[in-house]
Amino acid sequence: MLELSTKQQEKPAVKKRKWLDSEGRWGLLMVSPYLIHFLVFVVGTSVASLYFSFSDYDILNPPKWTGLDNYEKLFEDPLFYRSLWNTVYFTILYVPAKTFLALLLAVALNQKLKGLKFFRMVHFLPVISSWTVIAYVADAVFNQRIGFANAFLTKLGIAPQNWLIDEFWVIPVLVLIAIWKSVGYMMIIFLAGLQGISSDMYEAASIDGANAWQKFWRVTVPMISGTTFLVVILNTIYSFQNFEQIFVMTGGSTEAGSTGGANNASLVLMLFMFRQAFSFFKMGYASAIAWVLFLILLAITLIQFKLQKKWVHYD
Amino acid sequence: MQKRFPLNKIVGYLFVIASALIMLVPFLTTVFNSLKTYKQYMQFPPEWLPNPAQWSNYTTVWEQANFSSYTINSLIVAILSVIGALLSSSMIAFAFARLRFPFRDTLFMIVLGTMMIPGIVTIVPQFIIFKNLGLLDTFAPLWILEWLGQPFAIFLMRQAFLNIPKDYEEAAKLDGCNPFQIYWRVFLPMCKPSLATLAVFTFMGKWNEILAPVIYLISDENFTLPIGILSLSGQYKTEDQLLVAGALISLIPILIVFLFAEKYFVEGSKTSGLK
Repeated sequence: MLELSTKQQEKPAVKKRKWLDSEGRWGLLMVSPYLIHFLVFVVGTSVASLYFSFSDYDILNPPKWTGLDNYEKLFEDPLFYRSLWNTVYFTILYVPAKTFLALLLAVALNQKLKGLKFFRMVHFLPVISSWTVIAYVADAVFNQRIGFANAFLTKLGIAPQNWLIDEFWVIPVLVLIAIWKSVGYMMIIFLAGLQGISSDMYEAASIDGANAWQKFWRVTVPMISGTTFLVVILNTIYSFQNFEQIFVMTGGSTEAGSTGGANNASLVLMLFMFRQAFSFFKMGYASAIAWVLFLILLAITLIQFKLQKKWVHYD
Repeated sequence: MQKRFPLNKIVGYLFVIASALIMLVPFLTTVFNSLKTYKQYMQFPPEWLPNPAQWSNYTTVWEQANFSSYTINSLIVAILSVIGALLSSSMIAFAFARLRFPFRDTLFMIVLGTMMIPGIVTIVPQFIIFKNLGLLDTFAPLWILEWLGQPFAIFLMRQAFLNIPKDYEEAAKLDGCNPFQIYWRVFLPMCKPSLATLAVFTFMGKWNEILAPVIYLISDENFTLPIGILSLSGQYKTEDQLLVAGALISLIPILIVFLFAEKYFVEGSKTSGLK
């Protein structure tokens, strides 16, 4: 009986809060900018985009419902498959190499090297630069006329290459530049993760007679796997949406590059969508591309979350 | 063991120094390129050092076309975005961290969700919204969303507000402060490092942005620096070495911010790994 009565007394005390009291009103008022953001620029735009993807829409005339036409056209469009492959190829080269290099750099810096701050700053320099700046830095190395890569090859008696136009080279070279630009950013994320590993783990490994190499694979790699997972997810999302680099380096200003490299060798999905939307004003078709890209990315992210149980170590 | 300089440290140094050189040498080469004469810039095989060093490249490109207005435009967009991010994201984050209101947790899950969800599908409709509002070729589409709260910024500020002890809130309440006053007078001044992190990240993002300016800006005098330089390079009117100098000029403001606020860049990077 006693227990029951206290329960009954507690209940009204909780219920006394009105659904929307003064604090609640303040709360809603203060988040209201985000509510607008969410309702208009997330929900509103997504619904509109979905509708456009089933329509023929050139901006000048109102959208005309055409059902699955855009999607049918898309799945028959060789340029779609070309750009999908280019995007996937870019990602396959980019994500593992960058993740591994960033981790190696972080491990090297984490052993209390002198000049940590200097090295960190140097690796952050490309991170703070715009792709326009990076395009000129990359030019210094990979420009077919003035770049040092070709000067070096010529000295060795090898024919100069057309790095950023050549069908074979363009994606690997773009990947190399993309890794160079942002490996420092991922390195900092890894450094923060490494500082969370207790030194006891390494001491225990030392007592067991492990060398540096074994410690890296047996202690660091498993202990940092949570961070690695995040880095892989972030970079996959980035890689699939990579637009600025490709636009600036191979598809932006010059007519010759306007197809996305020779034979569309660097036409990625984002550039493909951008062209359809803002060069040809096929907003319906572009929206269909956006949704397909979105669904592919969503599927990949979900698969990565499923797979993480197999390799990510949580303590 | 202690006396010997450990082998893995030596390997570490070699690796990091090599990597630092790979980072720096291309930049240095670019600086040298920016000082060359057109003739020297175009020659093959290239020479590393500029001879003679033509410093006037920097003043020449500054006087080219709309270069100074590109700079001013970039500054306007970046500063309006920073102010918007500081004010709105912190206010929204305060409500999420400290106030109880209906659907708070659901809404915060949405914030986290939209942080992971790519924004590709919103590009076209967003363009149509701004076009219908008559805002094409204005700066508004480039900074307005910062004033409506961005997920990463909200997340960052919420973390900061969560760390402040409840006593401060109680004391302010006793003094008769309403929630907005508590946020503005008590909490905001206590979170300056996070605000600085948010400011430098927003500045960097906006200063370097290319996609949105390419979509929304039409006339040359409205271009921001990254796309202004691209448009100059497309016209073949400006000599290439001048464009290199122009690109490096566009790096200077963000470089200054970086040199003075490096630790906030590092903090922000770490936070993006905390999710």
